[in-house]
Amino acid sequence: MAGKSGRSINNVPESPVKKMIFSWEGILVLLFIAVNIFCAMFSEYYNLSSLLRQMPVYLAEVFMMLPMAYILVLGEIDISVGAIVCLSATMSCIVCNTNAPFIVVVITALGVGTICGAINGFILTKFQELPPMIVTLATQIIFRGISEIVLGSGGSISASNTDGFRAIGGKVGSVPYILFLVVILSVIFAVILGKSTFGRRVYAIGTNRLTAYYSGVHVQKIRFIIYTIMGTVSGLCALFLVSSSYGANTTTGNGFEMDAIAMAVFGGISSTGGKGNIAGGFISAFIIVCLRVGLGQRNVNAQVILLIIGVLLIAAVALPNIIGNVKKAVSMKKN
Amino acid sequence: MSEYVLELKGITKIFPGVKALNNVQFQLKPGEVHALMGENGAGKSTFIKVITGVHKAEEGEMFLNGQKVDFKGPKDAQAAGIAAVYQHPTSYPHLTVAENIFMGHEIIKNRMIQWKAMNTEANKLLKQLDADFDATAEMGTLSVAQQQMVEIAKAMSTNARIIILDEPTAALTRSESEKLYTLVDKLKADGVSIIFISHRFEDMYRLASRVTVFRDSQYIGTYDVDGITNADLIKAMVGREIKDLFPKPEVKLGDEMLKIENLSRTGYFKDVSFSVRAGEILGLTGLVGAGRTETVEAVCGITQPDSGKVYLEGKEVHIKQPSDAMEKGIILLPEDRQKEGLIMSWGLGRNVTLPTISKYAKSGINDEKTERDLAKKLLEEVDTKAVDIFQPASSLSGGNQQKVVVAKALSQEMKVVIMDEPTKGVDVGAKAEIYAIMGDLAKKGYAIILISSEMPEILGMADRIVVMCNGRKTGELNRGEATQERILELAMEKGHTGGAE
Amino acid sequence: MEKKSVMKKITGSREALLAVVLIVLFVVITAINPSFLTPKSLMDMLKNNAVTMVMSLGMLCVMLVGGIDISIMSTLALSGMSIGMLLKYGHISSTPLAFLIAIVIGIACGAVVGLIISRADVPPIIATMGFMYIYRALGYQVSHGGEWASAAALGNFKNFATTKFLGLNAVIWVIIVCYIFFFWFMKWTRTGRMIYAVGSNPSAAEVSGINVKNIKLLVYTIMGLLAGLGGALQVSVYASAMPDMQYGGEMDVIAACVIGGVSMSGGRGTVIGALLGSLILATIAKALPLIPFFNQLWLNTIKGIIILVVVVMNVILQRIADKNALKGREM
Repeated sequence: MAGKSGRSINNVPESPVKKMIFSWEGILVLLFIAVNIFCAMFSEYYNLSSLLRQMPVYLAEVFMMLPMAYILVLGEIDISVGAIVCLSATMSCIVCNTNAPFIVVVITALGVGTICGAINGFILTKFQELPPMIVTLATQIIFRGISEIVLGSGGSISASNTDGFRAIGGKVGSVPYILFLVVILSVIFAVILGKSTFGRRVYAIGTNRLTAYYSGVHVQKIRFIIYTIMGTVSGLCALFLVSSSYGANTTTGNGFEMDAIAMAVFGGISSTGGKGNIAGGFISAFIIVCLRVGLGQRNVNAQVILLIIGVLLIAAVALPNIIGNVKKAVSMKKN
Repeated sequence: MSEYVLELKGITKIFPGVKALNNVQFQLKPGEVHALMGENGAGKSTFIKVITGVHKAEEGEMFLNGQKVDFKGPKDAQAAGIAAVYQHPTSYPHLTVAENIFMGHEIIKNRMIQWKAMNTEANKLLKQLDADFDATAEMGTLSVAQQQMVEIAKAMSTNARIIILDEPTAALTRSESEKLYTLVDKLKADGVSIIFISHRFEDMYRLASRVTVFRDSQYIGTYDVDGITNADLIKAMVGREIKDLFPKPEVKLGDEMLKIENLSRTGYFKDVSFSVRAGEILGLTGLVGAGRTETVEAVCGITQPDSGKVYLEGKEVHIKQPSDAMEKGIILLPEDRQKEGLIMSWGLGRNVTLPTISKYAKSGINDEKTERDLAKKLLEEVDTKAVDIFQPASSLSGGNQQKVVVAKALSQEMKVVIMDEPTKGVDVGAKAEIYAIMGDLAKKGYAIILISSEMPEILGMADRIVVMCNGRKTGELNRGEATQERILELAMEKGHTGGAE
Repeated sequence: MEKKSVMKKITGSREALLAVVLIVLFVVITAINPSFLTPKSLMDMLKNNAVTMVMSLGMLCVMLVGGIDISIMSTLALSGMSIGMLLKYGHISSTPLAFLIAIVIGIACGAVVGLIISRADVPPIIATMGFMYIYRALGYQVSHGGEWASAAALGNFKNFATTKFLGLNAVIWVIIVCYIFFFWFMKWTRTGRMIYAVGSNPSAAEVSGINVKNIKLLVYTIMGLLAGLGGALQVSVYASAMPDMQYGGEMDVIAACVIGGVSMSGGRGTVIGALLGSLILATIAKALPLIPFFNQLWLNTIKGIIILVVVVMNVILQRIADKNALKGREM
């Protein structure tokens, strides 16, 4: 090539260990330890076995954080997922009560979720101009509305044939199945987002959609896949939810979208796209789960926990911005 | 009283890492039209922003009617009677024309906005400008030319005595430009002083009495328009004779690589046909808005043409999306590096390998080591001035960013390379390097399409030149027969009237 | 000629189109069930939807600057619950004072949201999601963990919603006053137009010297004010205060605005649009039980479908308009 100056460009990355210690995930790990110490001091019943026993109720929501992280990295949002959980749980209870084999119930739950997610994805990719916020707001109302119609005036249903649900709520030793599943799925989602070409493209879309498109990334196909998977995982969440409550009602899954978003954002995943990873979301999810178990053991009102989540969420986003603004102001003054 | 309405001395403006203006000066006489010329990146826009108070200069003084002034913000400049009309109108698309005109100085009585009075006043101004729309029209529904008119009306409504027009004709058609000329004449007759930035020599000859040239952030000189030849002016702008800038290699042309036939897309371009051979550099030129970018974007699958055919190596190809074009070896280097070419917050390495990651990946998982090695190799090949491949693209200068875009293209298997304004916003030194790379690519037998508005670049590099105007191809010239005048004539369609040679 | 321009105005203007839709709805529903179109039934409808109608005005302002606020019903619950408890335990008994306290709490809540969004650059959806939790939880704290203030505990306060003034219910007067004020504020004052300017082109607004941050702070504060007012109205109309009141109701307010033509990306939307949007929603809610086959359970589904259809139609119409504009371009 012409004009070669023989300049050498370094391509050796800095050590990942050093990077990790000074990262948000590092802070989260410290916070996780702090929360556990706090819980242990706060509640005399708080220990590993009680944690494992009481955790499953809250773990179902952790599933939702995983695909939500992808959607946030895309720079988008899906607020219909709580309603998908509701519809999916309702339908699986109905199918269950026809005495269908449990595998059919599982397929129903996942299938309903997948279809709902695909509907979101279809509308959002066919009409790219629409903001995801408003589309998923509308589908949220519709999905929950369909559950309301199906459930009728009673507004609830209970699963009569609970054997299957009881089975998936089971344990290996003292470790519940759901914890295994959460960990396995988290690893899969983390590897795909962090290490695969698919994940790299998701970040590209979230950082600069136009450049990604010009570089041959199938932007709309990827968006469609992610929204569809979000639906599937919502179906999975519904399945485990029913396995702990043996029923569904019109408020099932209420606020799950908010919890999933809160876990992800608190985990350092930017809601404006392109930043964050599953590890952060995973740690923050467990901080919140531990907090819920610990405070729940002393009968602290669920509302207080929501208050804490709210404060953490805002602080996690606001503090870095405020510090940045102050720094900028100081350096401006110096000049 | 000073001889000048506006005088700037020793202005220096520093952005992180760059001196955008280096000790420049400028004088504006009352009632004159003063052209400000220079290549892209010469510092004209920054200079305008210093005058209008958007940027604050680190050094230098500014005098208004002989009085030293110090603007704290755009409002101060406005109050002092300085108004700017930018290339891309900075308007409020959802509001009415009248509101846009009076934004910031609404007519208010009893704390109520006086809509009737505002509409009447606005219509009065529009009438003076011979506008063909009403003050109650919504801004977003107007054409760019009409929006520009509103901006000028806005400047008039503040009783501005100095109006700055930043490339006002860039997006206008011929007749619209003509209208703008009359308007400027009218303002001049009213005693308004005008600073006129333009790339078109025609604008300058038609309107300005004096011209100031900037180059590489520095002041080069101020000349009487009647007293300077075109060649001298270009020399002042470019800083050297044109020829030595363009190391055009002699390449034996190969077979026809890409051919497009009657390509059309409603509203953007119509019946465009041309072809390019291996080793050839095809220049595609015309004024901004002629449909050049839109045409190649349709070829590359960014958009879909409504009709027409594309042939690659003699076979018809159907390109539905960008990845199709890339698989077939048609590579586009987009016009807007920051929005379309690069992910500015990403490291250079990741940018380079973005289009091709799946090639190195093993069962979907990225092979980061191979990626890093390849990125290093390609970035060094184009001689990027960078420390490592992890630094964000935003930390590089325009020219080096363009080199990263080239490296990104090199990571793919290329047959046809389409470069859309590759030297826009690039300093002269880096320009020469990019031309050299272009020449090398041609030597290697790639077919190259070079889209450019810069006449010297097209004349210097292209083997053949296709000229477009208003969405149509208006002519094709060989290297031998092409001159600046011929191209301009074709680019303006009906022959140009201005010019003084 | 004259006629054509009137026709064009109707088809071209979002508000006129909505008005036609509303009238058609009225006619159809009355034809099916004449009991719909009686003064009493209409009054009830307005009264029961007062909260949504009033708060749509605040959401209009928020959405005009390209924001969103989903914390509003938590603010409503906090302010409503606060005055409910104050009345219940006899700390206050005056109705105007109760209204004032609710509004002040609302303003404070809204201002905090506005500060976080405008000064700490937190995306509106994230910030208001956090405050949705926080204010709702504070509402529970105020209620001593879930206590109600029932009709008996509210004393004279609940009479506000049954008082008539010049033949109209006091609640309806509140709606009318709010809408007249906002119609004037948004169209005729400089501040109102600044809200539009910030939403239409924030960077241009900055250059022309508008304090964008303060405008953002202002709209969330206005939203908070109206949420506080909504809290007082809610308590008085339903003659009770509970900490979970209007849970999920923010969706109705956003829906009313979206149906009324307020753009999610800012800059576009009018007071009349918000009025018509919330009236259409209210009419459907009121009419559903009157129509055979459908019942109240269908309400949400139909609401959601309407929102979806409205936004998708917008996109399709815009695409057609763009295409026509391109066809008209000379070449």
